[in-house]
Amino acid sequence: MDFDWSPEEIAFRDEVREFIRREMTDEVKGSIFIDTPARVEFVTRMARLGWLGMGFPEKYGGSPNPFPLAQFILNAELDRSGAPIIGKNVGTIASTIFHVASEEMKMEFLPRIFRNEGQWAITYTEPNAGTDLGSMQCRAIDKGDHFEVTGMKHYITSAHFCRWHWMALRTDPDAPKHKGISIFIVDHDTPGIRLSRMDTIGREGTTHRTNQVFFDQMKIPRSRLVGELNKGFYYMMQALDYERFAILSFASRVRRFNKIVDWYKNADFSGERPATDPYTRRALARMSARIEVGTMLERMAICKAQYEVPAVEAAMNKVWGATIGDEFAQLALDLMGPFGGLWGGEHSPFGGGLADEYLMAGHARVAAGGVDTSKSIIARRLLGLPNALGKPELPQR
Amino acid sequence: MDIKLTEEQAQLQDIASKYMDKHCTFEFVRRMEKESELGFCRDMWRQFAEMGWLGMIIPEKFGGMGMSLLDTVVLIRELGRHICPSPFLFTSVLASDVITQAGTRDQKAELLPQIVAGEKIYAFAYQEYSRFFKPEHIRLQAQKSGENFVLNGTKLFVEFADGADTLLVVARTGKANSQTGLTLFLVDRSSAGISTRHMPTMSRDRHYQVDFNNVEVPASARLGKLNKGWAALEPSLLKTVIAFCGYTNGAGFEMHGYATKYASERVQFGRPIGQMQTIQGYLAQMIMELYGADMLTLFSAFQIDKARHARGYVAKAKAFSAETVGHVMDVSSQIFGGMGYMEEQDTTLYLRRGKQYQLALGGTEYWEDVIAEEIIDREPVVLT
Repeated sequence: MDFDWSPEEIAFRDEVREFIRREMTDEVKGSIFIDTPARVEFVTRMARLGWLGMGFPEKYGGSPNPFPLAQFILNAELDRSGAPIIGKNVGTIASTIFHVASEEMKMEFLPRIFRNEGQWAITYTEPNAGTDLGSMQCRAIDKGDHFEVTGMKHYITSAHFCRWHWMALRTDPDAPKHKGISIFIVDHDTPGIRLSRMDTIGREGTTHRTNQVFFDQMKIPRSRLVGELNKGFYYMMQALDYERFAILSFASRVRRFNKIVDWYKNADFSGERPATDPYTRRALARMSARIEVGTMLERMAICKAQYEVPAVEAAMNKVWGATIGDEFAQLALDLMGPFGGLWGGEHSPFGGGLADEYLMAGHARVAAGGVDTSKSIIARRLLGLPNALGKPELPQR
Repeated sequence: MDIKLTEEQAQLQDIASKYMDKHCTFEFVRRMEKESELGFCRDMWRQFAEMGWLGMIIPEKFGGMGMSLLDTVVLIRELGRHICPSPFLFTSVLASDVITQAGTRDQKAELLPQIVAGEKIYAFAYQEYSRFFKPEHIRLQAQKSGENFVLNGTKLFVEFADGADTLLVVARTGKANSQTGLTLFLVDRSSAGISTRHMPTMSRDRHYQVDFNNVEVPASARLGKLNKGWAALEPSLLKTVIAFCGYTNGAGFEMHGYATKYASERVQFGRPIGQMQTIQGYLAQMIMELYGADMLTLFSAFQIDKARHARGYVAKAKAFSAETVGHVMDVSSQIFGGMGYMEEQDTTLYLRRGKQYQLALGGTEYWEDVIAEEIIDREPVVLT
């Protein structure tokens, strides 16, 4: 067992830090999304260094992996500094294309992803198909040389700035529900697509936007079918396994927690000093141990990834991260008394950031695979418990 | 960075696991609880010695194996899985380390090989009438009398005090209510003036109240410098705490395994209860906590082995492992339903121990105070 980074890992980390120091601006900071010109440019500069395509063959625009943990070091440093991280474009979309798509599709899309040429939306969720994606109803009707789609999707993050949709649609309404879904790549400027914005709760100017997407007789060329017809659900499930990037870094939580602790070291409420209050001290101490556990689960997932796909470890990381994020936000507000709920102004610690943190924390528990659903995944895939239908956990591949 | 066990560690784990499977059965643990006078088995102790375990961290020049704390955690986790009752922790971790670090040349040459050979068992006489684990709260007096010292006072929760040959006593020789002014003594258990009384616990283990009534010990019984006992003890105590976390994590993993197996097999409403999301949620939550506690424990051991400042990590490991073992024993028992609370059910051996492990060697609040000292009163150490 060796918990230390190797010299080459440290060298790469320093290279990433130097890049961030050089390229980071206030416009880039503050979101993991690549949704503003400044953030797009920041990621494109990383792409030029070959950091997006690490581990993919060079003929598809990839670059050699310096060592197995390079991707994690990169994302951890990005997350620590509040920069956009390398996420679904590479983790889900490029990986799935690489494993299942035709040679033409690989040649067309992989280099563009690795150059950061245009953003992607993952367009799966429907009002009646959230946690249970297999229940999606939005149909793509086979018209020979193309598919025609009329219907809608919602909670589609990134749709308002994407160039392509990575879209799952029902292609066989008569087959068992997991066997009638296919994946398509759809240009966002295809006629028949319309967006309606959905705003998450939050302070004006800080909210995260997501979208409803409506389709009216939208046509998708047959060449944009990814892999085989009706295999889409299996691809979606497999993508969870490719998604090494799903190992979300804990670095930003550690950074935010340390900021709170630092604030309390010097806080003074009319002479009452929280740094000497036993309850405050123990509450922060307890949280600090729980945050450290998060960094440990992250380490575990990272180390596992050197040998195999850490699917379960990634789920644990997600559950712990979202749970602790929530506990942390609750605590941060609880300890502030009435000031915790302030959304700005003179007496607002962190300029209202704590209230923002609280509102986002609940959202993180339900986004991208809810906490309780993910716990069931851990129970089934790690502990071998049967699923609720008594069926085998994963479809046969 | 790699958390895989080395080949040697994997081998050690395998040997320990097989040995424990064979010798530390539920029947054995129950016998130690109810029938054994000492609460542990001397034959087993001799076998530990034969396998070299008793000298795990003792340097090779004193006959030990000179292995790391991380290795020790790997071993003791297997003892914990089987809730093995033995004086290993205070003999082969605490006493071994503190003698190695603070002992004189003569003390090391005499005492360490005895530990390796299984000839001497140590008990730790520290806790007094205090909710916490603070050195400030130690009041047992050691007064100089000519060349000798005379000890007066009471120690509580001294595990295996009746089976031990030597008591490692932390006594006050100087300033009251302070971390300084403490001195360590290695007191022969058979010294005149020592009396013990069993303190019955829900674990049916062997904790004792030890009364010291004018116990006269020679100057050679002093370990380390006068009034510098805490400085000598604390580093070894942190190692002991980490080893203890390894033990309780092992116990937690084992209990979790029994609950998982039961959830897969127990059928109600026509299906295994493990199909229900609530049960899945319990088991998933607990396995995350166990992995977290385990990793934090191993990580702390690694930092200690590298001689880095690890007090904050140790405190986090202990606070979290303690909470975890308590939680895992409770919730796992719930999964067994009524059976989880029947005397005949073997998992109750774990349930009865969980809370007590949580409270031992400083409870959660004590270690949270230590964490607070590290993160609030002192700049956090940033590891790169």
